[in-house]
Amino acid sequence: MLKVADLTKKFGNLIAVNCASFEVNRGEIIGLIGPNGAGKTTLFNAISGLYKPEGGTITFKGMNITGWLPHKICKLGMSRTFQVTRAFTHMTVEDTVRVGAYNRYNEKNVQEKVDQVVKICDLTDIRKRVCSDLGLASLRKVELARALATEPEMLLLDEAGAGLNATELETFMNLIKKLNQENKITFCVVEHVMQMVMGLCQQIVVLDSGEIIASGTPNQISTNARVIEAYLGKRAVHVRD
Amino acid sequence: MIHTVSQGIITGILMGAIYALIALGLSIVFGIMNVTNFAHGDFVMLSMYLSYAVGSALAWDAVATPLITAPLLFIFGFITYYLLIDRTLRQMYVVQLAVTVGLQILLRSLALIVWQAQPRALQYSIIQGNIQIAGFEILTSRLISAIISLIFIAGLAYFLNKTWAGRAMRAASDDLDAASLMGVNYHKTYALTFAIGSSITALAGGLLMSFQQTDPVGGVRFGLLSWAVLALAGLGSLPGLIVAGIIVGVVESLTVSFFDPRSRLLGVYAIFILVLWLRPRGLFGRR
Amino acid sequence: MNFKKYFNQQNTFILIGLVIALVIPQAFKSSQYVMLLITTVLLYAILASAWNIIGGMAGQLDLAAAAYLGLGAFTTGTLLIQWNITPWVGMFLGGLIAMGLAILIGFPLFGFKVKELWYAISSSALVVVLQSLFMMWNEVGGPTEKYLPSGSSPWYSLRFNTYVPYYYIMVTILVVVILINRWIRYSKLGYSLLALGEDEDAVEVLGVNSQLSKLKALAIYAFICGVVGGLYACIYGYVHPAFFDTSMSMEITILGIVGGMGFIYGPAMAAIVMVSFREFLRASLGSQLAGLYLAVYAIILIVVALFQPRGIAPLFERGLKKIQTYFAELKRGHKADA
Ligand SMILES: Nc1ncnc2c1ncn2[C@@H]1O[C@H](COP(=O)(O)OP(=O)(O)OP(=O)(O)O)[C@@H](O)[C@H]1O
Ligand SMILES: [Mg+2]
Repeated sequence: MLKVADLTKKFGNLIAVNCASFEVNRGEIIGLIGPNGAGKTTLFNAISGLYKPEGGTITFKGMNITGWLPHKICKLGMSRTFQVTRAFTHMTVEDTVRVGAYNRYNEKNVQEKVDQVVKICDLTDIRKRVCSDLGLASLRKVELARALATEPEMLLLDEAGAGLNATELETFMNLIKKLNQENKITFCVVEHVMQMVMGLCQQIVVLDSGEIIASGTPNQISTNARVIEAYLGKRAVHVRD
Repeated sequence: MIHTVSQGIITGILMGAIYALIALGLSIVFGIMNVTNFAHGDFVMLSMYLSYAVGSALAWDAVATPLITAPLLFIFGFITYYLLIDRTLRQMYVVQLAVTVGLQILLRSLALIVWQAQPRALQYSIIQGNIQIAGFEILTSRLISAIISLIFIAGLAYFLNKTWAGRAMRAASDDLDAASLMGVNYHKTYALTFAIGSSITALAGGLLMSFQQTDPVGGVRFGLLSWAVLALAGLGSLPGLIVAGIIVGVVESLTVSFFDPRSRLLGVYAIFILVLWLRPRGLFGRR
Repeated sequence: MNFKKYFNQQNTFILIGLVIALVIPQAFKSSQYVMLLITTVLLYAILASAWNIIGGMAGQLDLAAAAYLGLGAFTTGTLLIQWNITPWVGMFLGGLIAMGLAILIGFPLFGFKVKELWYAISSSALVVVLQSLFMMWNEVGGPTEKYLPSGSSPWYSLRFNTYVPYYYIMVTILVVVILINRWIRYSKLGYSLLALGEDEDAVEVLGVNSQLSKLKALAIYAFICGVVGGLYACIYGYVHPAFFDTSMSMEITILGIVGGMGFIYGPAMAAIVMVSFREFLRASLGSQLAGLYLAVYAIILIVVALFQPRGIAPLFERGLKKIQTYFAELKRGHKADA
């Protein structure tokens, strides 16, 4: 479904992503992990079209989408959420979802889609609330909902579980599983919360200092020597989990 | 032909140094406080009027008037900061725009009230006259103004790098929270920055009055010029600011001598737009 | 009957507004001065409402209202003066030309993601640049006023010796512009604009072409300004490069902000309140000191911007709610009595 080959992204002299290659199959939930500053967000930004990569190709649904504009990539069937939530602060939850829903629906039937997504994501109680009044857990749900409303075939979630408590995390994971099974959406998730990665993903790709150092099933990864070294070696600066 | 071009370039370079000085005031306010003062050009206009008032009342030379107008503008900047700017820092960006644009209208109308609509100029300057160098005519007033501008910019660079107040200002620009942790009261630092930025316009106003006249809507031009210089220079590099000022000055002067004096801002607008498109961080900017 | 459905509160307000709008000229017919004043207020209301599309909704701080207004004025004026083409055509063409220039400039600017401060400054520079261009272009502009001929039929050349017809045209345009605002606000374009005004990257990964959306908003805004510019030339009876007025552009922007960003009626309300107030000041202070009224006006603008940063529209909304609850309680009281 998604194929990234030799992707490179630089910021001046800093090589944030270095020749990364991996593949995501349709219907999978794939996890992307790595210490802080490994380049996960940068990789997502390059895939979703927000950054222009310096080298490499990105193929999605058999099309070479390298260098496409983000809205075109979304039209093709890929959307994402952000690590630092980027809500439309002055808009209501319902209107936020509507922005996404217009991607595939017109004035006549957009409301149906909005209602449907609001229900799936369990936002009915807060649908009329303004986003600036919401807490982090709700904001993460709203971001997922608006991306979902674009009817993607693939969703990139950037640390969607960060900052949630155990119960919130549980419902969030169940929602993702449900979307994966019922709506056949392929997921690529960046996650620091190991519980979530191990519980969700069939495949895991490990990134460190911009390079992919390992990939495989959760079991393979948790026993891989390079991964353990990359994580343990950086334990001191690794505050978030 | 070559002579005319060279003459235009020389005039442009001299003007450019003053433009760099004007833009310097804007640059430290924008670069350190991240405040966009749309009224900056009108601060220059106000300074020119004050120079006119001081110069005509005391029969002083225009170049000397900043001795009085700079402290005045310092106080004015200080008051403006606490009355207006400080209240906009934690607000939406548009509030800052509305407030400084409102200030712009206010300054213009005040100038209109006090000095009426007709242009004002100071009569004699001791540095009037020409120097002939290798066949080129150079207005002494512009030459001296340019030299003073450059010296001042260098002095300010020294101040920012070497003194405690300067370092506090730069610390506040890098990280507000870290700066307040270090015991820098950012309100005071910002007030100081804004006041210094304002008093720089007083110096520029005095220099400009030695060879120009002023009118209530003259601020627009200086505002545009200084934003163009800033766009070209980017933030954080004082030599870049001087080079950018000179580029703008030369472009303006060549447009005037080859095209039409009324079109003086066209060339500047063109490079401004080009820079926005092609080098959004300026030619020399760190940020 | 479905009568009750149409007789809701909002429609009642609109009806009352329209009746007042119709009656005003009858009341002030005798004073041309007052009619000119009211027409000016309407002009600002239209421009500020148009600004709401690009500024309030799309969040682009455009400072070029007078650039588009001036283009419309010069198109209309020149067509009438040189070829005796009716301003009805001129206004429309003026709108199109303003729109064309806006697209020409907006396309690369939005493509290169120039925004906020730098967009504001480049748009404000546009006004100055057009002014100097028209100052130099002697056939069309030049330093002296070019007067519009009165012609044979006032409705052909849109030159009346009373302001009443202009007033009615302005009211019509204002209603249309507000309807356009409403239509955009609750359509795909409006939701996209509101969202991209807050976060452009986030809206693009949701499938919104932000460059195109902004361009549409800018084009509509420029078109309206151009059309109104044509009317402006007819009202004043001449064209002059001073129409490219930076102060006026800034005022429009401030009215849009002070009215309440993104509130459909906010900018028009702000314009009606503030410009009436400005003209009142001009009438009462103007004779003593030139510029004094503007100074007072600027201070008021600053104070409103500082202490009511979300604009005055939310204030009105709250006031309206209070009246509503008051009437609701009154009704309940009546029922309890009976
Ligand atoms: N816009 C940018 N400009 C310059 N450098 C950047 C930019 N964005 C990221 N970087 C740098 O690129 C590297 C990778 O950053 P990235 O945000 O992709 O890491 P990450 O894996 O998402 O980390 P985290 O777990 O903290 O989210 C970091 O060293 C970061 O400082
Ligand atoms: Mg990240």
